[in-house]
Amino acid sequence: MAMLEKLVEAVQEGEEREAVATAGKAIQEGIPVDEIIEALTAGMREIGDRFARMEIFLPEMMLAAQAMQAVMRELEPEIQKSATPTEKKGTVVIGTVEGDMHEIGKDIVITLLQVQGFDVHDLGADVNALDFVRKAEEVHADIIGASALMSTTMPGQREIIEFLKEKGVREKYHVILGGAPVTREWVKECGADSWGENAGVAVEILERVMAERRM
Amino acid sequence: MPPYKMWEIMERANTGPFCEDDDFLYKIFMPKMKDVIEKYGIKYDPDTPVPADDDLADRVWQAAVEFFLEVGVLNVDTHRRIMVDESELKEALYHAPGRYLVGAGKDTRLWEQRGVEGAKPPFCIFSPDITCDEEMFLPMSIAYIQEPLADGVCAPILEESMGLKIKSGTPTEMAGVVEHAMTLRQAAKLAGRPGLFLVAVGTAQSDTGQIAVSNDEWGVRHTDGRLIGILTELKIDNELLNKIAHCMQFGCSIGCLSGAIYGGYAGRAEGTAILEVAYHLVGLTIYQANFQNSFPFHLHFTSNSGREMLWLVSMKYQALSRNSRLLSTSNGFLNAGPGTEMVLYEAAAHGLASVVSGGHLWEAAPTHNKYRNYATPLEARMACEVGHAVARQGMTRAQANEIVNQLLAKYEDHIADAPKGKPFQECYDVRTARPSPWYLDMYKKVKDEIAAMGVEFPY
Repeated sequence: MAMLEKLVEAVQEGEEREAVATAGKAIQEGIPVDEIIEALTAGMREIGDRFARMEIFLPEMMLAAQAMQAVMRELEPEIQKSATPTEKKGTVVIGTVEGDMHEIGKDIVITLLQVQGFDVHDLGADVNALDFVRKAEEVHADIIGASALMSTTMPGQREIIEFLKEKGVREKYHVILGGAPVTREWVKECGADSWGENAGVAVEILERVMAERRM
Repeated sequence: MPPYKMWEIMERANTGPFCEDDDFLYKIFMPKMKDVIEKYGIKYDPDTPVPADDDLADRVWQAAVEFFLEVGVLNVDTHRRIMVDESELKEALYHAPGRYLVGAGKDTRLWEQRGVEGAKPPFCIFSPDITCDEEMFLPMSIAYIQEPLADGVCAPILEESMGLKIKSGTPTEMAGVVEHAMTLRQAAKLAGRPGLFLVAVGTAQSDTGQIAVSNDEWGVRHTDGRLIGILTELKIDNELLNKIAHCMQFGCSIGCLSGAIYGGYAGRAEGTAILEVAYHLVGLTIYQANFQNSFPFHLHFTSNSGREMLWLVSMKYQALSRNSRLLSTSNGFLNAGPGTEMVLYEAAAHGLASVVSGGHLWEAAPTHNKYRNYATPLEARMACEVGHAVARQGMTRAQANEIVNQLLAKYEDHIADAPKGKPFQECYDVRTARPSPWYLDMYKKVKDEIAAMGVEFPY
């Protein structure tokens, strides 16, 4: 279908205005909103794959993600009317731990999660461990993601697990840890559930986790 | 030293143009980077990891100047952009002395600006750049300090102090940074180099941690240096500004630590080279830095020894050396780990590309800068011995390009699956802080191979 191909291409190229306009035309032409979203999701998955293969880099991926979000806002009234509302893959609370201002790794994971349909709550950087837990409880999250770039801020990741246990809610959440100095051994020592060795791996793990939870 | 403008920077950090974080990246940083890459015709050539195009180097410089002046630096605490105008930048560049005395007593060293293909030897800082076990800190520090080519040393980073996990901004950090500073000073004295220029302390992430170790008797002296980082990309916060203010008034050397990310917001090699040059202008004007430690790295591999990374390292130093007197160490980030031939080839290529292009050396972070205890002085020694040799023999960029291509042929297909190697305690005799015979033999073999490629080692 030419219109959908044009829309996906505009999103992938990060052409926000063209993408929004094309999405409007697609609705006017009577293309069902779930078909549009399905095509866009496949298109964004391809963007994620191209990023993993290093065919594109962060600027291109970020612009595509922004275009995708703009299109989703345009489609929102149609989604609301749709008999089969789109289901979020999972809800993620994510941030960089206390004392650490580094965000790029976390932001890449967020972008990849959003384009794959996850509902993501970004707490930003320098986040106290208890704030991760509070936010997860507030939004009924499935997943908590904690990033640390410095070895001396990594203990903040372990604190999240400790606070979850203290509050008796550890089993409610899948906790994934990432960041340059984070290793498999550290993840095990903390008692977290998984290691996001890189952004692509993190998203693969979380998709698998949510698929298992839905079974 | 450039004019002291700390109060002006403080004011601009609170009164500069308002800007939200996302707008800074999407509406200012990324479009302007795209603009200057096109305007100045910057183009990466994979066949020449060490390019010899003076005009291209000058265009990279011009692109970086324009980019820095128009984008500025965002203070994420105040949401204000710290802007510098052209005449202020020219003033700062004019006053940059291009030479400093660092260290103390018999260990004092002169650190001078180098030219492209220059004969002056590089200033070499030996640094493992990784974390280590607490009991490994002293022997590892001694091992690095006793390296003859080390003009300065930066120690490994402690993760634990008295068995407690160090957490930034807490009393464990206060204890850990003092342990780091005192033990490093002890190591320098034990090794007979008590006045050696020490860049410390990496264990201190917070501003209070850095301030806590400024002490001419037992800690970081005013004849030593500090690294103050910058946030990705072109961002700063009040904690970093606190460190700058403290170090300026304490009187130690300030090194602006910048690591532009290849594949990040600046895009590919062209943008990363421009951004890293721009970071040197940030260091000069906003950090009032004596020197820069520059570690551009690949987004996926956290290294800078790949082909595109060596190109941008070389391009960056040519641009800087041809257009300024700024001092900058090229910080090697390598893929393979200690005790492997691959890491030695990588170190040689990084040292060679950097020095022929006008840079100084800060070597080296092996194993993607990731694993505790995975670094030894031999990786740094290889980069620095190659750097000294090629400066001494007056190697041209064209010759360097040929040799770097030969070195790349030995490892570039294995960047994604580089061998992890062995930790310090398996490569060195911890008791004597000397390399194990098997690793020394491997080192000599690789050095002979590199000599056969045309590097004339003095010994």
